[in-house]
Amino acid sequence: MKKYWGLLPFIIPGVILYTIFFAIPLVSSLALSFTDWNGISPDYNFVGLSNYVEMITDDPIFHQTFGNNLKYMFFVVIFQTLFALIFAMFLAKNSKLNVFYRALFFFPTVIASVSVAFIWIFVYDPSIGSLNTILKLFGLDFLKQSWLGDKNIAIYSLAITQVWMHTGQVMIIFIAGLQSIPKSLYEVARIEGASRWQTFRNVTWPLLAPAATIVVAYTTLQSFKAFDLILAMTDGGPSYATEILSLFIYHEAFRNFKFGYAAASAVIFLIIVSLITIIQFRILNANKVTYN
Amino acid sequence: MNFKKLSVLAIVVLLVGAFVVGCGGGNDEPADQGADSGEKQVTIRFAHWRGEDKEAFEKVIAKFNEEYPNIKVQQDISGSEQYRAKIQAELQSDAGPDVFTTFPGAHFATLQEAGVYADLSGAEFLDRFSPHLLLAGQADGKQYAVPYQLVFNIPVYNKGLFEKAGVEPADSWEGFLEMCQTLKDNGITPIIFDSEIGPGQFMNPMLMNNMPTDDALTRVEKGELKLTDDWFVKTLAQFKELKDKGFMQDDVLGTRKAGAAALFAQEQGAMLAQGSYMMASNKQQNPDIKQGLLAPITVPADQAKYEGIHTSTFMIGINAKSEKQEAAKKFMEFLFRPEISAMYANVTGQMLTVNGVEYESPELNEQAKWLEKKTLFQPRYTLTVQEVEDAIVNSIKDVLGGMSPEEAAAKAQEEVERSIK
Repeated sequence: MKKYWGLLPFIIPGVILYTIFFAIPLVSSLALSFTDWNGISPDYNFVGLSNYVEMITDDPIFHQTFGNNLKYMFFVVIFQTLFALIFAMFLAKNSKLNVFYRALFFFPTVIASVSVAFIWIFVYDPSIGSLNTILKLFGLDFLKQSWLGDKNIAIYSLAITQVWMHTGQVMIIFIAGLQSIPKSLYEVARIEGASRWQTFRNVTWPLLAPAATIVVAYTTLQSFKAFDLILAMTDGGPSYATEILSLFIYHEAFRNFKFGYAAASAVIFLIIVSLITIIQFRILNANKVTYN
Repeated sequence: MNFKKLSVLAIVVLLVGAFVVGCGGGNDEPADQGADSGEKQVTIRFAHWRGEDKEAFEKVIAKFNEEYPNIKVQQDISGSEQYRAKIQAELQSDAGPDVFTTFPGAHFATLQEAGVYADLSGAEFLDRFSPHLLLAGQADGKQYAVPYQLVFNIPVYNKGLFEKAGVEPADSWEGFLEMCQTLKDNGITPIIFDSEIGPGQFMNPMLMNNMPTDDALTRVEKGELKLTDDWFVKTLAQFKELKDKGFMQDDVLGTRKAGAAALFAQEQGAMLAQGSYMMASNKQQNPDIKQGLLAPITVPADQAKYEGIHTSTFMIGINAKSEKQEAAKKFMEFLFRPEISAMYANVTGQMLTVNGVEYESPELNEQAKWLEKKTLFQPRYTLTVQEVEDAIVNSIKDVLGGMSPEEAAAKAQEEVERSIK
């Protein structure tokens, strides 16, 4: 043990930064969640668990928000993972054209979310938007929608934007996973007469499980933490139809001046995200295989 | 401990020390001496959300520095939504801005209750304003903030399209519907509406003559009136009527503020359901457009109490914690001079609350006509609880989205009761 004391100075800066920027805010949030602080007044009252009780039993907006977040998460996780996997399968080989396409698909990730939001606001605009205009051009008027105005589809419109923005990013993780699979396994599969589907099902997919675990967990967190895109595109509207948890916390704190309540929702948010991530890790790790 | 270990430890301690000192660095102004005056140089920070006014304020500040060379004014600008969040956090600290702006209503009420404002009561520059336009910045009989801009939250209309259809602004609900129908019959979309700010703006003139009393929304907040009462359900029903009769463009809920403004500037609709503050940018987009202001009168002509809505906003106050309050007051006094206000107004295209300002543009002169009319202070800004405001605005969106007025009103009332319990 004594020999490690010399390493202590290397750890201290990290510990200090972690304490200042993570541990203290986390503990402060927890403490605030038991108060009715409005975020600016010097006075506040200790209200015990009432913020939590109200949120869980008597806040239809929070319930709707949670439901919206689940819809958003499932859509983004399923489609972003699927598209990323398909693109990765096509672009796994290191040819010049594939490298170009990888860069092209990755490009939306490097654009600021707010810029992406403004692009897509104009794509979805009912009067001057390109989406409805293209549908009309091809005689598909019946498919024209109020993409951001219809309460039933607005959340999925936002999810499509999120998928467009981040598919290229997770595609890179899949490509790295695909490139790490030994070629000898594919040769064995070919010699054994396995079809393309059988090769994918029994060789590629099981060996991609670690990459898939990272992709799914990352995408889940990303869909829960999506904030700037939604703030800029709909600000949670119409009538809370696109309000997700991160936006709910922001609105409670900075629009409604309910910092205590916002802190309680942040704690709930942390618990929900942690639970979902743990469950996902367990499910995906159960599918992990190793071929010797 | 050997020399190497000691060296590493020393470097780490120095780095951490530098970091901590860096974090704790104060914002004290170095006490430079003014080049000419010999007075202490002071820098005041002016926080606001109007990025589009940056250039105009720079001109004002340059003029200010001719008179007060020892007071530097630093603008600190954020977008309006981010501004709300940022100013709240900054005012809690000792490093907040010296001069800052707020929105009237819930935003002002919360900050005022937290005691962040210096009391401006008795300041001589207050005499330059009409007393009723200062009300939005008052609480407990004291003046905490000075509303600088005057906005009419009523639709802007395209005079050319009105002339083409042969219609005039109406003075009754029946007349308003007829006017819209004539416009529609002439192939003109009567109202361009957006979901971003439209409901919160258009609700005001729609409510002004329907409300049983001028403070009806405040009474809703106090639990004395309900949104399920006839006057509010009637207002929602009138929104529905406008939508159902095709007097608004398709998919109003999917249309954003900028999209609606673009449609209006391209003369694809006769009225823009936003406010007078859009006239300058509409003109920039379409220099040939001729604009006026009108309000929907939701009752028979002889029962109309008000002709329109006004809001005194962009409320400027001084941080109670500021140690540079005297310099901040000098800046406000300078800004509120009629000739300086005229300079600001004519660059930004914004109407101001200061008396005696000479406006140059046709749009500002058009707005100035409304100073003579009977207008009500924006009812939405009489609300002090944000969730109540959200409930009302969302009930309008619900109706425009297909919900019945009764159902939307009941849903909104439930949210109000939950918020004020």
